[in-house]
Amino acid sequence: MTANSIPAADDPRRLLSDLRALAHRVRLHQRMTWVALLVLSAATFAAIPVDWFGMEVNCQPDGGCQFARNGMLWYWIPATPLAYAAIAFFYLRAARARGLGGRRVLPYAITGAVTTIVFPAAWLAVTTYFESHPIPDQPLPYWWFVLDRLVMPWGMIGVTLLVLAWLERNVALLLFTLGYLALVLLVLPMNFGFGPPHFGIRAGMAVPQIIVGVVLLVAALGFRRAARRHR
Amino acid sequence: MTDAAHPVTGLDEVVHQRVRLGILTVTHEARRVEFGYLRTQLELTAGNLSKHLSVLEEAGLIEVEKGYEGRRGRTWITLTDSGAAALNEEIGRLKQLIARVETSGS
Repeated sequence: MTANSIPAADDPRRLLSDLRALAHRVRLHQRMTWVALLVLSAATFAAIPVDWFGMEVNCQPDGGCQFARNGMLWYWIPATPLAYAAIAFFYLRAARARGLGGRRVLPYAITGAVTTIVFPAAWLAVTTYFESHPIPDQPLPYWWFVLDRLVMPWGMIGVTLLVLAWLERNVALLLFTLGYLALVLLVLPMNFGFGPPHFGIRAGMAVPQIIVGVVLLVAALGFRRAARRHR
Repeated sequence: MTDAAHPVTGLDEVVHQRVRLGILTVTHEARRVEFGYLRTQLELTAGNLSKHLSVLEEAGLIEVEKGYEGRRGRTWITLTDSGAAALNEEIGRLKQLIARVETSGS
């Protein structure tokens, strides 16, 4: 952009292109994608000991075990809104320091905070259902496992990252999020953990969470590096 | 000529100016922007930017809010609803103009 007025014969196409470039530059200056990923990675790592020590495991003499991840259920209820409040705080502070408004992050933070209720609500619905219905003998269909993983906190992290990618018009974040969702929904056994003989129940649950935490952390470092290169 | 008015006739003189369009675009994107940020991005002197801001403020397209952060004075600019509408209209007219030029050229 220059300080000149638009001459009568100025090319409107070029003007529009300049305005789009300017808007894109503002969006780049507002982005703090790495902060969101770092906070979510920290929340994921912090959940691991809570899940480990808060898990009720009852093993029978026949070798079968029942477990209830109570710690994880109670951890994520306060941790999710706190994590998104922290993300909103850091976004707004950084934007203000750069001389920009940061309201773009608020829909993301609000969506993230709202997802807090999804996991407890799903847990409550399943528990209530099986109180009056028999547990099926046949293996559950595959889509049920995917849905179960989607409503878990790590699935919801992916869904809200899609919202952030849209708000920031961030193609790199969109691609990362699609890969992340494929990992937590289709690859990692987030709901049942890795089983024996390599892992006990607690370790089997911890390993997928460690992998998710590492993936988010590595992505945070990558996005931070990319953001520094842009400036 | 066709029956429809030429897009040029609808261009708003206040908005149809490169710097002022830049101000409206940045403010639209950021919702709220600081004077110093605008000056850097648009590569303007403080005096020149102030003049353009006054024109936009008088037209009711932006709001200017002066305050302090610590001892440092800061001026924040916010886009009004009329400003957002004027920017959308201007961009629409520019697109019409491009379409008109392309149609007449083919």
